[in-house]
Amino acid sequence: MLWESSVLLQLALSGLLAGALYALLACGLNLVFGVMGVINLAHGELMIAGAFLSWLAYRYIDLHPLVVLPLVMGLLYGFGVLLQRWLIERLTGRDELTSLLVTYGLSILLMNLGLLLFSADFRSVPVLQGGFYLSSLDLVISKPRAVAGAISLALTLGIFGFLRYHRMGKAIRAVSEQPEVAMICGIDVAKVRQMTFGIAAAMAGAAGVLLSILYSFSPETGGEFLLKCFAVLVIGGMGNFLGALLGGLLLGLVEAFVGGFFNVQWAEAVAYLLLVLVLLLRPGGLLGQRHAVF
Amino acid sequence: MAEPSILEIQGLRRDFGGVQALGGVDLQVRRGKITGLIGPNGSGKTTLFQAVSGMDREATGRIYFDGHSILGLRPSRIVALGLGRTFQLSRVLPGLTVLENLLVASRPDDSEAEDRAHNLLRQVHLERQVHVLGKALSYGQQKLVEFLRVLMRSPKLILLDEPAAGVNPTLRRTLWELVRQLQEQGTSLMLIEHHMEVIADLCDEVYVLNEGRIIARGTFSEVREDPQVFAAYFGHRNRTAS
Repeated sequence: MLWESSVLLQLALSGLLAGALYALLACGLNLVFGVMGVINLAHGELMIAGAFLSWLAYRYIDLHPLVVLPLVMGLLYGFGVLLQRWLIERLTGRDELTSLLVTYGLSILLMNLGLLLFSADFRSVPVLQGGFYLSSLDLVISKPRAVAGAISLALTLGIFGFLRYHRMGKAIRAVSEQPEVAMICGIDVAKVRQMTFGIAAAMAGAAGVLLSILYSFSPETGGEFLLKCFAVLVIGGMGNFLGALLGGLLLGLVEAFVGGFFNVQWAEAVAYLLLVLVLLLRPGGLLGQRHAVF
Repeated sequence: MAEPSILEIQGLRRDFGGVQALGGVDLQVRRGKITGLIGPNGSGKTTLFQAVSGMDREATGRIYFDGHSILGLRPSRIVALGLGRTFQLSRVLPGLTVLENLLVASRPDDSEAEDRAHNLLRQVHLERQVHVLGKALSYGQQKLVEFLRVLMRSPKLILLDEPAAGVNPTLRRTLWELVRQLQEQGTSLMLIEHHMEVIADLCDEVYVLNEGRIIARGTFSEVREDPQVFAAYFGHRNRTAS
């Protein structure tokens, strides 16, 4: 029976684990928006870059995605820093339409580069099979979902801790709140922005590696996840890091429960209905908008 | 013999779309002294601070700070050389706690930053507000925190842009005591202030700026006798500034 507590628990756990991946991806996007005011439409493609790096390492040198994860994060961090230095920095202070157009162009460029290199075929990295059986709760959690969800949550909370407690994290928050004041505090704002974009790209890369063990993907999958990211940001609050975490988990839960009780198509519809409801009742998102406490 | 200048400005100019904000300003701040910068609203005082602190990099001319040419440098470089400033309107970081507001301005290699922050907060009786968010402080407390933030790097020169504006008399006294202590410790200060009794009481030398030009320089009692200064404030030349 669907109403049995073990089924409800199963759905809740699955939803939270799926939502953790959305949160990891959305928190990176939110970080860039919160600090630079730039909506990076190429964030989904950065995730897919991570997924393909994971696939390449598995396919050609037989490396496990979890081993590749830190390497991919490092690579994407470097790529993000260069992108910020050469491209995104020029958008700082301009209107949001300019940044939307430029990052949309970047998204198309990266997606087509992916299509050129890998074709439109779907790939996956089937390294983890089966599930964990929790006898005390009478639950089965699929291994890929459990691993991907747990790592996503750990990374998101780790970045949150970095922003909250590390000196450089405080500098990022200062730049996010008042760049002029940050400058006069001796903070090199341009470098902080590079680091921020690097961190966001690394988070997207990590989400891509975890996506590769969960789902099939192609160079065109990024757009689908970017849409989910926007739903997460609107639900949680644009520019609010904790809001993105909450929004991601909530979206995962809604998808799991509606998918479990009805079907997957309804899950998508209800998720976006939730988005519309939040826009109507609390336009700033559940935890408020940009410049809220990280 | 005159004390060497810590800040020397030569021919500083700044235009905003044909409107001249600074029209060739020459100015020196002597080491270890408090220099006042006064003038009517819109005379270019804050524009000058913006140029010196690197916040406005469009100005032309020459600015030497502690022997370094700083015009065109990024603010973070200028801060690293030992210059600090406050803003006219309080610019405390609202989402950071009081302690974080101070720590974020400390030197990266300062292992005693937290102790220094606590000591400074104790000095101005804000030790109980350590974990309060910047936005939850009163306006006067925000101005004090902003001032303390500047002190986290023990700067050689501090530019204070109306530090007492909107601050209650008790906090204002605390602020001026702190300014005096800093001068005794050898810090140079430059002060924009509209309260003439404060300028008279604190400043060793005063510059008067009007329509982007220095119209008088000297001790406060000297500049207040200057008919040009009176004219700048009141539009007449027949009395001295009060």
